[in-house]
Amino acid sequence: MPRPEFTLHDLLHNALERDPQRLAVVDGDAEYSYEDLERESSSLGAALVDAGVDKGDRVGVLVEKSWEAIVSMLAASRIGAAYVNVNPLFKAPQIEYLAQDCDIRVVIGDTPKLEELQPKTVETAFYRGEKPQGKAAKSYVDVAEALKGDGLKADRGVSEIDLGTILYTSGSTGMPKGVATSQRNVVVGAQIVSSCLGNTPEDRILSALPLNFDAGMSQFTTSLRAGATLYLLRSRLPGDLLKALRRHEITGVTGVPPLWALLIRSAKSLREGPLTHLRYLANTGGRIPQANLDELRNLLEPAGTKIYLMYGLTEAFRSTYLAPEEIHRSSPEQGNCIGKAIPNTEIMVIDKEGNEAAPGEPGELVHRGPTVAMGYWGNEEATRKAYRPNPLAPPELLDVERVVYSGDTVTRDEEGYLYFLGREDAMIKNQGYRLSPEEVENLLIASGLVNEACAFGVENPAVGQDVIAVISLKDTGGDGAIDSIREYAINNGPPYMIPKEILVRDELPKTGSGKIDRKGITNAYTNG
Amino acid sequence: MVASNGDARAAIRGWLQENVTGGRDVANDELLIENGVMTSLQTVELVTFLEDEFGIMVEDDEFDEENFGSVDAIATLVEGKAA
Repeated sequence: MPRPEFTLHDLLHNALERDPQRLAVVDGDAEYSYEDLERESSSLGAALVDAGVDKGDRVGVLVEKSWEAIVSMLAASRIGAAYVNVNPLFKAPQIEYLAQDCDIRVVIGDTPKLEELQPKTVETAFYRGEKPQGKAAKSYVDVAEALKGDGLKADRGVSEIDLGTILYTSGSTGMPKGVATSQRNVVVGAQIVSSCLGNTPEDRILSALPLNFDAGMSQFTTSLRAGATLYLLRSRLPGDLLKALRRHEITGVTGVPPLWALLIRSAKSLREGPLTHLRYLANTGGRIPQANLDELRNLLEPAGTKIYLMYGLTEAFRSTYLAPEEIHRSSPEQGNCIGKAIPNTEIMVIDKEGNEAAPGEPGELVHRGPTVAMGYWGNEEATRKAYRPNPLAPPELLDVERVVYSGDTVTRDEEGYLYFLGREDAMIKNQGYRLSPEEVENLLIASGLVNEACAFGVENPAVGQDVIAVISLKDTGGDGAIDSIREYAINNGPPYMIPKEILVRDELPKTGSGKIDRKGITNAYTNG
Repeated sequence: MVASNGDARAAIRGWLQENVTGGRDVANDELLIENGVMTSLQTVELVTFLEDEFGIMVEDDEFDEENFGSVDAIATLVEGKAA
């Protein structure tokens, strides 16, 4: 009997019941069935229980995208713990921050990554590879052994309102914020996306995005729900992408705009050998430059591929999508249409007075529905700002339901289509990553050489926005200071956080209230 | 300008120093992609540089991690083509 879909592992149960021998995950040359996924996630779950993981605890997943990473998520889910997938590009300072922020005591990680961490970052580390020499954890367990152990004995009674995962996203305090996401949020997200894309057990889905990114986790959850096969791709180089699409006869791929810029580099091969198996391509995480979208359509649509454009924010998973047959609406001439609400979701356009904006009038995109997450982990102030009572609820139900204020300004037309106008905050979109300027500034200041820093984004269709930083130095005499700062940043931050340009000024301009004038500095830069 | 084959490693390291690592020289066997030294977009820029500098053409399916994983690997690809 199929189970009602309440938790991530209910999805596994149903896929297993449908066809235990079907391939669940393909990682390089290794192939794993749903039966393997059931057995090994049970074994790892039992090992996590032995390591003292209680219901509600957070388990850090530091292994790169792999079979073990997939098993880790399900193992955590089965014992009622929340998995925290860590950005593979994070360096030790960001990982240690995450471990401390949501109190991660147990991690599952690759040995080289574990060796970078400070002593006692966690209690127990499950390592993949050689046993670590360092003291990042008090005790170590070999993942390979844990996957072979006895399975779970007791059911912990996990429900849909339990914490399922924490998704870290860039925060304006200068450090990442954790979006606490329930089992229900994860499962409903999978239901919505798999119904939009029409996923079936016959699908061969490519996982090209990182698993720590909500839209990247989605290929795993939708594939699991459909009982389809997930192909893990770690490389982001166009040759590997092209070969994976062909070799595995991929039927569905989801990515962010820079990935499509890489795909269309292979135009010659795509014309010579069209991707006849590719049923759909879905974009998320920003707008595809129009020239690239036109090229993608030319290369893929004749072979039958449908292109879906999606819009979402981690705080509420997915919000809108533009169906393939309406794709022409997305052009800048038509006003950057982002489509309509995804199924089971309501999108409101709310003006400054808190009322529903009239058609054509700008307002903030407000998301209402079952993917609205629980809030920011350990950050009540930020939670209250983004997760607010439904402004259109009847007075009798005021303050019983939270909706997400996206910070994006949109309009809605008479037909209900939404159009993106801009963002209210200073978030930078670089290579598909959402990045707060404060995080870049903190990274530069942490070098010890920088007095003041101001970071901002400058439009560049190839990457979304370039990161630019204007700084003043602590010690004006130092030749080669910029090189040292850049090297520090590269060693201590993920690549997308490294400014393309670092400009030095004697002092940074301030606003009336004495804050660094980011708007003024940005305007001065863009106006040359 | 077409450089001679023997210079491939030095040319690639020089380009990385100038465009990627903020002045730091990389080892010939350092893992560039796996260790996150170079982003995919920087790799695209590197390919453009290699094609101009050595007068070669990198085919679609050659543009992968196997060929671009380290300075040694890239130089091997370049030398194989320029030979």
